[in-house]
Amino acid sequence: MTEWIRWTAPAAVVISVSAPAYAVQYLSVEEAQALAFPSAHFSEIQAGHVWKASTGGIFVIDHVIGKHLYIDFAVALEGGHVRRVDILAYRESYGGEIRSPSWLAQFVGKTGASPLKVGDDIRNISGATLSSLHVTDGVKKILAQYGNLR
Amino acid sequence: MATSDSIQRARPLLGTIVEIVAGGAAASKLDEPVDAAFDAIAQVHRLMSFHDSKSDVSRLNREAFDRDVAVHAWTYRVLSTALEIHRYSGGLFDITVAPLLQRHGLLPGDPDESFSPAGPSSAAGCIELLDGHRIHYRNRHVRIDLGGIAKGFAVDQALAILRERGVTRGVINAGGDLAAFGPQPERVYVRNPANFDRRFCEVAIANAALASSGRSFDLVRGTDRAGCAIIDPNGRSPVRAVAGATVRAPSCMIADALTKVVMIAGEQSIALLRQYRADALFVLESGDVRITPDWQAAVRFAA
Repeated sequence: MTEWIRWTAPAAVVISVSAPAYAVQYLSVEEAQALAFPSAHFSEIQAGHVWKASTGGIFVIDHVIGKHLYIDFAVALEGGHVRRVDILAYRESYGGEIRSPSWLAQFVGKTGASPLKVGDDIRNISGATLSSLHVTDGVKKILAQYGNLR
Repeated sequence: MATSDSIQRARPLLGTIVEIVAGGAAASKLDEPVDAAFDAIAQVHRLMSFHDSKSDVSRLNREAFDRDVAVHAWTYRVLSTALEIHRYSGGLFDITVAPLLQRHGLLPGDPDESFSPAGPSSAAGCIELLDGHRIHYRNRHVRIDLGGIAKGFAVDQALAILRERGVTRGVINAGGDLAAFGPQPERVYVRNPANFDRRFCEVAIANAALASSGRSFDLVRGTDRAGCAIIDPNGRSPVRAVAGATVRAPSCMIADALTKVVMIAGEQSIALLRQYRADALFVLESGDVRITPDWQAAVRFAA
């Protein structure tokens, strides 16, 4: 057929460009708390991990391994049910850079106030389905662990 | 990046991580529409999951041969579109390949050995759309799976909700199936379907949707696997010649479904693409690329 434009095997070119490192900070812990339980105060039950909302409810943050790096997420529990799940931060990297300590170091201590600048310009990616399986398992684990907390 | 007049949020839904960017209003006014958009996606997930025994899809697969089953208007709409694309694609897009996907280990459960899709007549002939959003199966062994189209529909619904609520710029990305609206085109990076660790090309889309399919990841469950989750209903085996395909279309539901046809039919899909005002590019095993002419200018290859 002549309708298609053909690009002949730029295979060497195509595989030479590494997918960029990609990292997004969606929400800080405080922002996620405010979205999950508006106008509540939070008392920490386990440092940096579990909070109790003054309006009733439990707020938990945790992380799971995504493809190679951590996905941070927050789970809001109320009455033994999952009320809301938010991804706080998503990071992805490929190839050699993941083994480089300096590359990994940039993720340490990052908060909503100091957002990541890695791959800033790369917001939309098509062509790979990111699995949420680990996040889903992580949410189940949190529900089993803290579902009975009131 | 989120700025003062936009927000960016992500939640685990549809077996992937769904990201929504919304802009054009004060950030404080954007949380409510974005939450509503996520709720719509969660509802599509509940209605159309193959895995959830309470979903419309599971109820249909259990009961629709024995009695007419009423489904949600959204499920009915996705089914109607799926059957329409089934007809126009000469049977290549087929939501009744679930037993084959099970046989290849791509969907859970034991396949019913007595049913196999039989090309153009199968899905269209076996599934009756009745009034009142009711569905009837004419064949006892039919099992549908909307995994090849529901994700795109979910993106469209979420986008409609953002628009209805006054958001003027937005991107919804459900693990690579995405749609964008607003005054500025959005740049999208497409991964090399033969090697997802590599970037492949960059595409600009404006008020349109984009979906990609590839051989080396699982479209159904969103996990990496060596096989292909796309089955050619005629050959009844996973697709081989096309390594990956990306489709731009007016809606994400159409883009999502058409990637499967392009994966199977390659160049033969041109008429169908035109019919739906869609463009496509695909990569062959050899590394050769084919692209529809109208789209050439919007695509920039990594070099």
